[in-house]
Amino acid sequence: MKYALLALGVLAWAGVAGVAVLMADVDEPVLGFFPIAGAVIAAWVIGEYVTEVIWKGDRRA
Amino acid sequence: MLERMFIRGQLRDPGWYQFLFGNVAMAPLWTLARLYLGWQWLQAGWHKVTGDGWIDSDGASLRAFWERATAIPERGAPPIRYDWYRDFLSYMLDHRWYEGFAYVIAFGEVFVGLALITGALTGFAALAGATMNFNFMLAGSASTNPVLFILAVLVLLAWKVAGFIGLDRWLLPLLGTPWQPGRLFSLGLPPRRRRRGGGLGRPAPA
Repeated sequence: MKYALLALGVLAWAGVAGVAVLMADVDEPVLGFFPIAGAVIAAWVIGEYVTEVIWKGDRRA
Repeated sequence: MLERMFIRGQLRDPGWYQFLFGNVAMAPLWTLARLYLGWQWLQAGWHKVTGDGWIDSDGASLRAFWERATAIPERGAPPIRYDWYRDFLSYMLDHRWYEGFAYVIAFGEVFVGLALITGALTGFAALAGATMNFNFMLAGSASTNPVLFILAVLVLLAWKVAGFIGLDRWLLPLLGTPWQPGRLFSLGLPPRRRRRGGGLGRPAPA
């Protein structure tokens, strides 16, 4: 479970890099920028959740 | 004595400066600046990697840029104002360094863009970006470089929090700094007293 969550967190940030590369050819500022910003926020929220479950859960145990 | 002199000579930053460049409350602002900067670098690098003239033709575009930059026109000012920088570019041109530098610049721009977007080692990425802007400007190319340079310097000043909504949220506490090693480098060592400030990525205790 712990490693699956860790992999999810890593995948989320790899996804950010993927979205950024997909948007590299888009010249329209709104169409290009907002998907990247959305992906970063989503990955950060996932990362916070994973951190909370894995490390803070361990500390409480 | 030397240590005492440095401690006495240490000037404290004003509160607004500490808040602007060192408080996680400002992380959303720096994230916007970081993402814009990163996207600009990624676009520039991606066009070089996938387009013509850089990777696929041994740096022909870079060679043409260096040739234009080092040329001294019969009338008017040359693109490069500093002789030492013109000599430096001429040396690289004569030794065909554009073949290798085409890869360094194209992939460097992509990596800087991705690092800024993901917020991984944001300070180093901003420094690398500012260095490239600085060199392009020295070579006489204005374009978007002045704006990107100023943004990079601001992100560099805010290196502690600019990547907080990014991978630095985890990387900085893990890696730490040369003067305050992170968790990765303190594994197996006896626990030390925490310094004031609470460490990177954590708010200072009241």
